[in-house]
Amino acid sequence: MATNFWTSSHYKQLLDQEDVDMVNPLDKEKGITLEDFKLIKIHMANYISKLAQNVKVRQRVVATAVTYMRRVYTRKSLTEYDPRLVAPTCLYLASKAEESTVQARLLVFYIKKLYSDDKYRFEIKDILEMEMKILEALNYYLVVFHPYRSLSQLLQDAGLNDINMTQVTWGLVNDTYKMDLILVHPPHLIALACIYIASVQREKDTTVWFEELRVDMNVVKNISMEILDFYEGNRMITEDRISAALNKLGFRS
Amino acid sequence: MEKYEKLEKVGEGTYGKVYKAKEKATGQLVALKKTRLEMDEEGIPPTALREVSLLQMLSQSLYIVRLLSVEHVDKAMNKPLLYLVFEYLDTDLKKFIDSHRKGPNPTPLPPSLVQSFLFQLCKGVAHCHSHGVLHRDLKPQNLLLDQQKGILKIADLGLGRAFTVPLKSYTHEIVTLWYRAPEVLLGSTHYSTGVDMWSVGCIFAEMVRRQALFPGDSEFQQLLNIFRLLGTPSEEQWPGVTSLRDWHVYPRWEPQNLARAVPSLGPEGVDLLLKMLKYNPAERISAKAALDHPYFDSLDKSQF
Repeated sequence: MATNFWTSSHYKQLLDQEDVDMVNPLDKEKGITLEDFKLIKIHMANYISKLAQNVKVRQRVVATAVTYMRRVYTRKSLTEYDPRLVAPTCLYLASKAEESTVQARLLVFYIKKLYSDDKYRFEIKDILEMEMKILEALNYYLVVFHPYRSLSQLLQDAGLNDINMTQVTWGLVNDTYKMDLILVHPPHLIALACIYIASVQREKDTTVWFEELRVDMNVVKNISMEILDFYEGNRMITEDRISAALNKLGFRS
Repeated sequence: MEKYEKLEKVGEGTYGKVYKAKEKATGQLVALKKTRLEMDEEGIPPTALREVSLLQMLSQSLYIVRLLSVEHVDKAMNKPLLYLVFEYLDTDLKKFIDSHRKGPNPTPLPPSLVQSFLFQLCKGVAHCHSHGVLHRDLKPQNLLLDQQKGILKIADLGLGRAFTVPLKSYTHEIVTLWYRAPEVLLGSTHYSTGVDMWSVGCIFAEMVRRQALFPGDSEFQQLLNIFRLLGTPSEEQWPGVTSLRDWHVYPRWEPQNLARAVPSLGPEGVDLLLKMLKYNPAERISAKAALDHPYFDSLDKSQF
């Protein structure tokens, strides 16, 4: 939507990792741990992607929706804001903000198709009500900057813009939305971390190129480590663990 | 909305009523701008969403009136409303210029103040343009002033972006044409940041003259006013002008000496004004470039 990250509200909204990792007291009472919290957010990010594939919106809309969802939970509890409703509503809101509106009834249709479970069943009016609540939780800040734009510019600059590297790094960036990186780091550093991982993996020598960029390589490497740690831990995520975490919240059962 | 006590209606903005109000808890004065939300089966209209979030983003600049919060009011019987809560500034450039023209002892605006106001205006416009947002309705009424601190801020912004510039506001008050760029008046549909720079030029001249540079009361009159001073534009000067939708055959006026319209302005000021009032929108100076114009050399920029 906008062009200048450094003067944007997104830049001014970057958070510290500790703030992002704060489990809301209301959720803590229900026994939600930081691990549970992260699991639920991963699950909801996946849910948003699945829904988005069905209603056919661009990856950018997915990225914006996931960012909204993650921002909401830095301020609101899972207990009061049922993630199973927040996730599709964030997609709904992001589709409007990114100028590719998806009809609410279409979302409701695909939610039913994806989940037969009653706990996921919501009507149009639930989505519209939650839309207003999310807007307020976001304090009407809807502009989000993503790593995609810097990614293609940076790849080109590094002379790495072949199809293979583009696909690998693009996929890595998509996966970063399973973490809270977008809330903590400027998007171009996330893009650089993805290029760093891909170039190590593909044995491309980018040392000189990275040295010439005037960025803090420690931050880039830390982000890379976080992404690699995520892949490591991702193997352990099972449906059971997710259900167990969601069951602690005990909605409408 | 119980947090605020409405004090008085201060204006009819193009898009809704504006109230002066006080935040009860702090005593802080604010401007409340009421916006009706035309909700339908698809919730909040995307246009309203984008506008509010753009405003939220742009109002981070010192030269844009600050949006303090957004209040959503949803009473069962009525249409939902959004109240935009802005910082309150005590006057606007129109009232300020008026006070220097009318009254017991009219005096020109001090040249250093004109310079400072214009610089701040260009800063604000550059900020909007760098975010891809056109204001499209810049005029002295929309420039709020903090008289004591000598600060100028752009208001009434963002809410116009999704619409075409209206001829009549929702209250049927005629929207002024005085600051409207010739390409808009001639029905161009592909206009850009140049439309705002034209308005900036008209406002610059008005601060110097204490009266409007081109006070027209119809679109046709407005064009004639412009042509009489700057000459009727030609294809050489402005390629494509004669194919614009509302172009007609006009009398062929020769350009007058612009300096005579702003007699108290020095040569550098006149040069900057000329660059803001270029017919060809592509040649018109940008807000960012204007900030580096020699006219501002004598300004202490460290204060901004």
